[in-house]
Formats: sequence, C-alpha cells, structure tokens
Amino acid sequence: MVGLSLGEKHFIQGGIAQDIRSDGRKRLTYRPINVETGVIPQANGSARIRMGATDVISTVKAELGKPISLQPDKGKVSIYVDCSPTAAPMFEGRGGEELSTELSVALQRSLLGGKSGAGAGIDLSSLVVVEGKICWDLYIDCLVVCSDGNLLDALGAAIKAALSNTGIPRVQVAAGASGDEQPEVDISDEEFLQFDTSDIPVIVTLTKVGRHYIVDATTEEESQMSSAISISVNRKGHICGLTKRGGAGLDPSIVLDMISVAKHVSEQLINKLDSEIAAAEAGEDES
Amino acid sequence: MLHSKTFVKKTRGGKVNKQVREHYLRDDIYCGAPICKLCDSSAARLSPSASTILLLDTNVVLNQIDLLENPAIDDVVMLSVVLDEVKNKNMGVYNRVRALCSNSLRRFFVFANEHHKDTFVKEMAKESKNDRNDRAIRVAAQWYQSHLGGAARVLLITNDKENKRKAIAEGISAETIESYVKSLDRPDLLDLVVQPSSEDVEMEEVEDLRPSKRKVIYTEHKPMSEITSGLHRGIYHQGKLRVNRYNPFEAYVGSESIGDEIIIYGRTNMNRAFDGDVVAVELLPQDQWHEEKSLSIADEEDEEEDVHLVPSSADDAPRTTNLVQGSSGDTNAVSSRPSGRVVGIIKRNWHSYCGSLEPMPMPAGSGGTAHALFVSKDRRIPKIRIHTRQLENLLNKRIIVAVDSWDRLSRYPSGHYVRTIGEIGDRDTESEVVLIENDINSRPFSSQVLACLPPLPWSVSSEDLANPIRQDLRDLRVFSVDPPGCKDIDDALHCTALPSGNFEVGVHIADVTNFVHPGSPLDDEASQRGTSVYLVERRIDMLPKPLTEDICSLRSDVERLAFSVIWELTPEADIISTRYTKSVIKSCAALSYIEAQARMDDSRLMDPLTTDLRNMNVLAKKMRSRRIERGALTLASAEVKFQIDTETHDPLDIGMYQIREANQMVEEFMLAANVSVADKILKHFSLCSLLRRHPSPTREMLEPLLRTAAAVGLNLDVSSSKALAESLDRAVGDDPYFNKLIRILATRCMTQAVYFCSGDLSPPEYHHYGLAAPLYTHFTSPIRRYADVIVHRLLAASLGIYKLPSIFQDRPQLTSIADNLNYRHRNAQMASRASVELHTLIYFKKRPTDTEARVVKIRSNGFIVFVPKYGIEGPVYLTARSEKGGGEWFVDEQQQKIKKMDGSASYSVLQTVRIHMEVVEPQPNRPKLQLTLT
Amino acid sequence: MEFVSLEGFRLDGRRPMEMRQIRAEIGAVAKADGSAVFEMGNTKVIAAVYGPREVQNRTQQINDQALVRCEYSMANFSTGDRMRKPKGDRRSTEISLVIRQTMEACILTHLMPRSQIDIFVQVLQADGGTRSACINAATLALADAGIPMRDLVTSCSSGYLNSTPLLDLNYVEDSAGGPDVTVGFLPKLDKVTLLQMDSKLPIDIFENVMQLAIEGCKAIANYIREIMLENTKQLEYRRGI
Repeated sequence: MVGLSLGEKHFIQGGIAQDIRSDGRKRLTYRPINVETGVIPQANGSARIRMGATDVISTVKAELGKPISLQPDKGKVSIYVDCSPTAAPMFEGRGGEELSTELSVALQRSLLGGKSGAGAGIDLSSLVVVEGKICWDLYIDCLVVCSDGNLLDALGAAIKAALSNTGIPRVQVAAGASGDEQPEVDISDEEFLQFDTSDIPVIVTLTKVGRHYIVDATTEEESQMSSAISISVNRKGHICGLTKRGGAGLDPSIVLDMISVAKHVSEQLINKLDSEIAAAEAGEDES
Repeated sequence: MLHSKTFVKKTRGGKVNKQVREHYLRDDIYCGAPICKLCDSSAARLSPSASTILLLDTNVVLNQIDLLENPAIDDVVMLSVVLDEVKNKNMGVYNRVRALCSNSLRRFFVFANEHHKDTFVKEMAKESKNDRNDRAIRVAAQWYQSHLGGAARVLLITNDKENKRKAIAEGISAETIESYVKSLDRPDLLDLVVQPSSEDVEMEEVEDLRPSKRKVIYTEHKPMSEITSGLHRGIYHQGKLRVNRYNPFEAYVGSESIGDEIIIYGRTNMNRAFDGDVVAVELLPQDQWHEEKSLSIADEEDEEEDVHLVPSSADDAPRTTNLVQGSSGDTNAVSSRPSGRVVGIIKRNWHSYCGSLEPMPMPAGSGGTAHALFVSKDRRIPKIRIHTRQLENLLNKRIIVAVDSWDRLSRYPSGHYVRTIGEIGDRDTESEVVLIENDINSRPFSSQVLACLPPLPWSVSSEDLANPIRQDLRDLRVFSVDPPGCKDIDDALHCTALPSGNFEVGVHIADVTNFVHPGSPLDDEASQRGTSVYLVERRIDMLPKPLTEDICSLRSDVERLAFSVIWELTPEADIISTRYTKSVIKSCAALSYIEAQARMDDSRLMDPLTTDLRNMNVLAKKMRSRRIERGALTLASAEVKFQIDTETHDPLDIGMYQIREANQMVEEFMLAANVSVADKILKHFSLCSLLRRHPSPTREMLEPLLRTAAAVGLNLDVSSSKALAESLDRAVGDDPYFNKLIRILATRCMTQAVYFCSGDLSPPEYHHYGLAAPLYTHFTSPIRRYADVIVHRLLAASLGIYKLPSIFQDRPQLTSIADNLNYRHRNAQMASRASVELHTLIYFKKRPTDTEARVVKIRSNGFIVFVPKYGIEGPVYLTARSEKGGGEWFVDEQQQKIKKMDGSASYSVLQTVRIHMEVVEPQPNRPKLQLTLT
Repeated sequence: MEFVSLEGFRLDGRRPMEMRQIRAEIGAVAKADGSAVFEMGNTKVIAAVYGPREVQNRTQQINDQALVRCEYSMANFSTGDRMRKPKGDRRSTEISLVIRQTMEACILTHLMPRSQIDIFVQVLQADGGTRSACINAATLALADAGIPMRDLVTSCSSGYLNSTPLLDLNYVEDSAGGPDVTVGFLPKLDKVTLLQMDSKLPIDIFENVMQLAIEGCKAIANYIREIMLENTKQLEYRRGI
C-alpha cells in the first residue's frame, strides 16, 4: 500500500531512533488533536476527531430494547466501525471489512470490558429503564473518513467524545402494566440524560519500530512497525484492555515497560482530550 | 441565491428516532396592513382605515366561530400558529375560518408567524406545547404593536386568563371576547358569544351552578390515555356513533374490532355522544344485551314517529334491527347483538342545528337573559339549552343553534343562538330549513363563478364547427324526451334505420365540459355542490342558469354542442359497434313523455320522427327484456307529483308519478350509454375512473322483506339479484296491487348505489346489483350532476382529444371527490324528500282526506300503514299512547298480525285498511299529519 | 397532507421555488487527490477522488480513455433510523452507476488513456436529494483533483406536491409519494446529462417541474464556481503569489 523507497524507510527508522520523527515530533508526542462534537444532528451524540490527516466520526444512537435474560439489569452497547472508501481506495467494496472488523473488536475489547460488561467504561446498569423488560441499547457507529495511521486511538477518542455529547431522552413508564406485558413508555421531548464519561478509558497504541516505540504513528511509520500494543487506560490509571498486534515477538519485560509508558502517556492524553471535548461542547452550545 | 435567511434547527424527539427538520425563518413575510409603510402592501387584506386590529387566541377561534362569521368582527389577523392548533382540534371550525380568510368581503389576514424571523418562538425547557403557543401569540401581538407603531391599536382577544394576564404584563392590550363585544355596543351579538367553560375567564351573570346540589347524570368520560390503552388492549371499541333516525334513544357504533355493530340503548349509555361522533365503547356484559322495548312505535318521553315519505332505499328506512326472536311477549330475551355504552368521545361531530325553541312562558321581567330549550328538527339531536336576551323574538321562529359543551351534571348540552331563519310554519322558512339541514348551498353564484360563463347570447361558433374533434351531426334527426316543463335538457336521441337493416342509435349529451374548465372557479363551485337539488317548488342548480337552461340545454331548433355515444344496433338490439365523439347537433323537437307516448300510440301518425320513436321503442323493449333476463331488478318506488299553484306556490294536487313506456325507452338508452362509457373509461384509466356501484344487499338487510313475505305465504329467493327478480315476478296475488307492494318493500331493503374511484376497489366490487351490470357510471346528466362532468373529462381523455386534468393523478383527492358526490347526492335526495313531506303537510292542512292504505309493519301498539295514493307512510295507533304496553291488543310475531284479545278484530301485514288523514296541532305551531282508522 | 400552506410556505418555511441552504468545502479528505464536502440543508456528503493513476485491475484497462469508477455508500448513522445495510445493495449500486455515468460524461477521459479515476462518495447525513448532493460533491472533488472536465456538472431535484412544483425536496417531501425529478445539468453547454423521475406526471407539468430543477442546477453551478474561485484565491495566497 504505502510504497516507500529504501531511503525513505531508513529516514523514518533513523528519525525514530534519534527521537526526531519525520514530521518533527518526538517519539511520545501526539499530533494536534481537533475535536468537534454534535456533527451528526440526527444521532443522539456524535463527534469528529482529527489527528493530523486521520479523520474519524463516531456517533451514538440510542434505541429502546430488551435486556438479555442473563443480565436483566444491564443495557447493551455495541460498536461498529466502517472504513469509508474515501479514506483509501483499498476500502472499496468489501475491501475495508477486514480492517473494520479488527477495529470494531479491538474497540469493544478496550472499552466495553468483556462479555459480562464488568469494567466497561459506561455504567451499563444506568441504561436500564425497567429491569428485565426495557433498556436502552446504544449503537456506536464509527466512520473512518480519512486515514493516516493510529486509527484505533482516534476512534477511541471519538467514541469518548461522542458519548460525552450524548443525551438520551428521559422516559416515563406508564403505570399499570403488569406481568408479562411489555410496559408502555412515554418519551420526553425535552429532557435528556447525560452520561458519566469520566471512566471511559483512552487507548494508547505504542508502535515498535526498530528498538524504540512511538505513539500516534502515521501510515508511513506504521508500515515500518514490527509489532504494536494498544492499551486502554482509564483516568484512575487502571488498564482496561490490551491488544497486541504485529508479527514479531516481544520480550515480556518490554511489554511491561511499554505498559508503564502507556500509563504515563494516557494521563496527558486524557487531560488533553477532556479539555478539547469541553471546548468543543462549549463551542457547539454557542453556535 | 435564495437562502439568505437565517435559520435554526428544530429537533423533535420522535418515538425513539431523533428527527431533524430544518426550519427556515424569513424576513419577507408582510403584516397585511395597508397603513404599514415598511411592508409590501400589495397583498394586504386589512382595511386601510382600521383603528383596531384584532389578534385572536386559539380558544376564541375554536369557541366563537359563529361570532367571527358575523361581519361585525373584522380586521382580524389570524396567526398560523392559531390556525394549526384549530386544525388539530376541530377540522370543521378550521374550514370555516379558512373560508373567512379567503372571503374577499371580509378583512381577515393570515400571518405566517411561525416562519417569520421576529415572531418565531423556540420552545423553552420545561415549557408545554400550549404555553409555547400562547407565548408565540403574545410575541406576534407585540411584534404587530411595535411594527405598526401606533398607527392602529393591536388588541389581543383571549379568553385564557393566564394568557391575558401575561399579555397585559408584557404591555399588550388584551381583552376577553365578551368585553370586546360589549364595547361594540351591539347587544344582538352577545347572544352569539359562547359561554366560557370553567377554566376560562368567567363571565358576568354566571348562573349559580352549585355543583354540590346538582345531580350527576352521566358517567365521566375516560381520559384519552386510558381510552388509547383500552382500545389497544381490546376492552374498548372505536367507531362512529350513528343515532337511529327514527328512535333517538337507540344508536349504533360500527366497530371494526369486533366486526359488528354495537347497539347503544338510551341516553345514559350514549353518555353525551352526538350522532357522528367518534366514540370509544365498552361492551356490556352479555346478560344485559336485551332488547329494549323496540317493538312499540314510539317510546320514552314525548318522542314519536311522524308520518313520512315511503323510503326509497334502506338508507331512508327506519332501522328494524330487532324484532323479538322466538316467542312473543318475552321482551327481555337475550339478543345475540352486542350492546354497549360509551366511555369516551374521541372526536366530536358538533356543528350547528336547525330547529325551534320549546314553547315556554315568557319569564317575568323581560329584557334580561333567559334559558330556553332548543329542539332540533333532526330528531337524532338532543334538546339543547341556550341562553338568550331576545326570547320573545325567538319563540316562534326557526333558529340555528350551535352546541358548545355538555357536562356531566346537565341532562342537555348547552349551546348558543347563531341566527334566525324565519317564522315557524312559513313555507319559505321551512324550505330554508330543509336546505340548511341537508347542508345545501343555495346562495347565488359568486361573481368569480359567473365570470367563467361565455358571453351571452351564445351560439355555436364557426371555430366549433371547424374543430376537427367535433363532428357535425346537425343533419341528424335528433330529438329529446323529458318531463313536461323541463328546461335543463341534458340528453337527446336519434335513431336512423340503416340500409343494412340495422339501426344507428345515438345518445347526445350536453357538452358541459366545453364550458366548465378544470380548476376554474365555476368548476370548483360545481364540484362542491355536486348535484342540482330539486325541491317541490324550486330547483337549486349546480351550474349557473345561463348554462343550465340555455347554453348547455339541448333545446329544439338551436345548434348545440354535445358529446355523443353512437351505436350500430341489430334489429335484435345487439350492439355491433360503439363510437364516441364530440359533436354539434340541432334538435328538431323537445318532446315531453306524454307527447312522445301520444305520438307512438297514435297509429295515424307516420311522420319520420314518430317512426324513429317507434323503432327506438322496439329496440328499447328488447334491451330491457334482455337486461331483466340478466337479473336486473325492476323495483318500484312511490314517487309523488305535486301540482303547484303558480302564484302562491301552494300545492294544488298531489298524485303518484305515472311511468310510461316513453320514460322507460329513454331510460333504457341512457343506461346503455352509461354502461358503454363506463367500459371505455375503465379500459383507459383503470385506476382513476369514476364509477357507480350498487352493493348486493346482505341477507340481514333483506330480513324484513322475507319476514313480511313469509307472513303472507310468499317464498322469495334472494340468493342473487336474478333469483330475486324472478321471485318478485312470480309474486302475484289476487290483489292487483300486491306485486307492486312487494316491490316497494324490496326497494327499501336495498342500499343506495354509490360513486367510487376505480383504484380504490377490486373489479368484482364494481358490480351494480340493481342493474345487474358489472360496470356502471353516470354520463348522461352533466348539467345537474358533477359525477357526469368528471366522466365526460375521462371519456374525452380516453379518446385522446383532451388531456386528463392533473386531479386524476391524485387518487386520495379523487376519492374525496367521490365521497363528496355521494354525500351531496344523498343530501339532495333527503332534501327532496323533506320538501315533499313539507308540501304534503301543507296540502292536507286544508284537506282532511279518507283513503285506502296498506299495513306494512306491525308494532306492539298499532301498525305502520303505507298510503299508495300519496306515497307516504305513518303510524296508526290502536291504543292511546298513555296506556302503554297494556291493553287488549297482542302481537302475533309469526304471522305478523296484531289481534284484539277478544278476537273481535285483527290486522295483518299487507292488509288493506281505510284511514283518515288530517293535520293536527298537538302543540301550537307544530302541525303534524295524523292517521286514524275510519 | 398539506405540503404547501395556503400562504405559500412549505413545511420548513421555504417557498416552493426556494432551495435549501447549500454549503461546500473543498479538500475535506487530506489523503485523497481531490475531495469536497457538499451540504444541501441537512443532507451532507463527502466525495473523494483518487487518480488519475495506474489501472489496478489490468483487465479493466481501456486503451484510449480513462477508466472512471464510482462507489456510493451511506453511513449507518446517516438516516433517522439506524440501519446496517450490507455494502453494495441495489440502491447503492444504482446510485453508484448514476453518478459514474454522469461524471464520466463530463470528464475528458480521452486525455488520460490507460489510467483510472476513482470517485468515492460517502453520505454522512441524508435528508432527501442525496443523489444530487453526491453529484455536486463529486464535481467539486474532481475539480479539486485537477481532472480535466468539459463543464461543471451540477444536479438538483424538484417535485410536484399539492399541485405545486417544488424545488429541492427534503426527506419529508420526498417521501410524500409525489414525483421526484432529479436533473443533472451542464450549465455552460446547456445540456441535461441526467434525468430521473419516479411516479407519474402529466407531460406539461413535467416540463415545468424539470425546468425548475434546471434552474436549481444553474444556481448550484454559480455557487460551485464561487467556491472554487475562493479556493483558488486561498491556494494563491498560501503560495505567496
């Protein structure tokens, strides 16, 4: 895909080794992050995140559904990623499916806390309307508009921003329904519930190029990676999920080292992101 | 670019879907006041000298529409927010307001406040829809106030206390409707003001209701949410309430959810519902499904059955739902028909009603307000309580009253006086009542409509003759046959013997669509009127007189434009070919039925015209017999004819309308033309043709006929129209009138034929039962029926000579036209009947008569007789109404007989009796025809 | 249903002959050779153009002209109710084809033989008139990619409801069941390149409705020209010319 000459490859690798990357960043510096919220008015919440040329949109749609019988006190959240062919011609037709699935699964693993939902970024029990009968189902749909590396981190950040932008209509359950009947609900036009998004982790992907690892790799840099680890870390510094990608094996001690670096980076990232989201929300309210 | 306006997005949380709609706010909406210097005043509607401009709150429009229609209220700004609210709450009022706004004589201006950038109001958090709309009204009032800058006073009229208070606090002048009307110094207008209900601003002189002392008469209506969930769960049933025209204490609700009609007995169970209301009904437990005294002719209070015209179809006939099943006497037998009670009203059908006040003594100290009870002419409507300051003026008048409310504590609904029609009993007043009751527009045609007419005197122009689509048939021997004195001749005929031995027969119909163009004011008016209405003493035309009686009328010896259907027929009257063309004809004779008949019968006459008539008659007879063979019913109706004094318009004589062969001949060819045209238009426009169908009667509908027939030992086969026609033919007794009587009874079991749009039904449903025709439509009377105008356009389009108007693309609209035609048609018939009934009454007022009558129905305290000579039927009581149910008479249900206990006398169905007819006045000014045995 | 009030306003406050607010932006996808965002009211689409470049699938190569390909996709969140449709359903395939044919007709393909041009349009928000918005976005994106074209093809739709011709239907008006006429137009050459209509319409009314859509196309063409001029000025400025 990315056709690089030998010289270019050496340039990239050499730059990383010397802690000065081809766009001038240090190994652990992110590109500037641009957050816009409320970009898709028909969704309950949405956000668009741009990191360099990487451009993703994430939306949240809430629908009323029925909780699964094993977890009557929890709502459901699902994440789907779609890679638009506008981002790269290779995503044309079914070409983007593999990457889309990989990203969807990685995001679910990092943000939703496994099958039981324990440790999920969002408190799933807050989505229940009537226990065992009605709950909110959140559908998080992401679209990759333009891709220049580090999609997972960008998508994670976009989901976090979209969730903080999300308002779910307040519902009133009609009294009187009993037994097996599905109760009638009344949906308010005006009042919205906001989510507590402070526990939603951010994803930090460390890409190993040569002996060093970098954050927020561009497509060119990713083409030179030997392996990568994506770690999701929440505000409290807890590791919420971890994905290793790439073929080359890693020494366990290096893995541990990478985790501690990721923890450190995540603190900055969370603060940066929170302030960007707050600024975007404020900007949206004004307009 | 057009999008220079600022805009906000309005979001609306739907069920779960978040809907996003754009809303563009504009700066190019004008205020409508000619005094305004800022706005473009070319479309201004308000008067240039208006000192006060009124803005109305929704509640004022909804409740005070009768007052608004009075020309005293003018210079009104209607806000679009108000119109929308009115539209959602009451379509009838909405249409009336819209009519006011488009009436060029009134100064009502619609201001689209919701689209104006300065008057659009965004919903605030925690603000209800109502509060938001009230605020929008105040914002608009304020905008007007500052916009006009004191050039005129802007007055907000609201009866909502809260809205008024806020408006005044915001510096808007606001008044209630009462105080505004008072300030006009027009006491007569005050009667039009509707009493506000309790939550609104209170009026002075409010009656002390003392709710604690008043009895609760009706159960409370369930709240809407409960009704919705009840309907959902199947415990309530929704439907339109239909009150029995002949027994206002019985009503029916056709329910789709149980697929049957639910009967509602008594006012308590009807629970304040009016005829036509959409209601929610709860079924009563099955053990309460008894029949309630349905057998007596009249029951409860002072209601009783009047003498009326013989019904011409099941729609006119009294409902005889329930004659006691099984043995007689067991009046509490459990019926299989579900009965129920009304728990809530989903949609009101209140409008205004015609009637008079119940006679009452004048209250002492006149001049103040008095309460009176209003009795509607329409028996299905309960009495209505009104407030009036002009009681003595109204007592002997026919008046119009509108209903406002009906609370649980009152036996009767309350309403307000709208206007006076005239003296009770006065023929003109009563005719007017007939028209109003049947919603017939008898106003003169407006100047816009008249402007659509071609200049007079009109004659066929050379362009018409040169037009290639128009065939010149002036050389044909065309003639018309109509009732005597007919001025609107819409059909003419010709019949030429061809050298081959076949005949060319043509039906020529007035080419009305040559003058009535789609979408013109003339067309709109005709489409609204739907049909001409024939009353005994006058005719209300669908089209203006110059068209009806001159330009379109196919009079003799003048050239006229026509739309012709021309067949080639074999001597056996088989159709070989059919062609359709626009034409120019010149009728050689306008005959009456009598004249035509006389010519045919006079064997000395051998002139060509008479020969044509005879040929046609032979063909018509063959067509007729073939039609009857197919199963067409020959039903009998008892039409009566008055002779009217030309000076006084009083009826001089009354008698049955005589049907001659000539009538049948013309009718036969008109039927054939209609069938041919129906075929043709359906072939070309299978989805948007206007056809006429006549549904087969159900066995249940034929039940009364079968029961009567069985009682006289007659066995009728009703399995198909053919079988019925044949058994009717066989039904000949010793009595020469017997067959006709049975046919009359059969007629009243049928429903009426109706217009419909072919796309709305499937082809088997197109069937016309009475004519035994798979397809039928109306083509032959475009001067007096709008349906025929539509069919003319369809036929012209199918011939490719004219384009189909765009309305035919719009099926819902076509369906609504068909519905309107059915409604107008029905009303026109009702009005004709009512007019005949009125004249019958006037006729017998001076002429008490003894005559022969036939018993047609047995009741527990008497029987219903049919008077063949005058075409009327009515009750004959054997027991005085005071001694109810008791007495010496009992009914034999099986044999349809009423017998005296001691066996000294008995009357059975179809028996001949002698009766005495006389007009009596049980109450002053309330004359009625009474039938007694002689 | 009343789509045009007696006062002459549509449900969203426009008059019958008015278009929705339109907005365009060039260069929304950094990695693409040319890209643009086009908005018509609440309808918003992104178009990205890749090429001209080497033909990826040699069997498709055309020796005397460029291969133009197009793919249309709708984001899951683009409509009011969330949908998850497989790629390449009939509707998308049809629209892809329509856009491809319309664009192909105005690209000077003979100047770029044995090369490939990919046009990808992505609907972000759908509120009626997506076809038109896609074509307008694609035109801008092609211009941004510097691909030689005969003219700027623009598109607009119109309809006929309540016996009134309406310009630029939104979703509510589009779903009313009336006719929806979509026109693609070459403003300089004064030629119609795309014409689609569903439902029935008498021919004389159709003429008016189509003419209305053409007027819409012309207005959009003017706007697109302005946007491109503005974009060029900015490019100039950035280069310091």
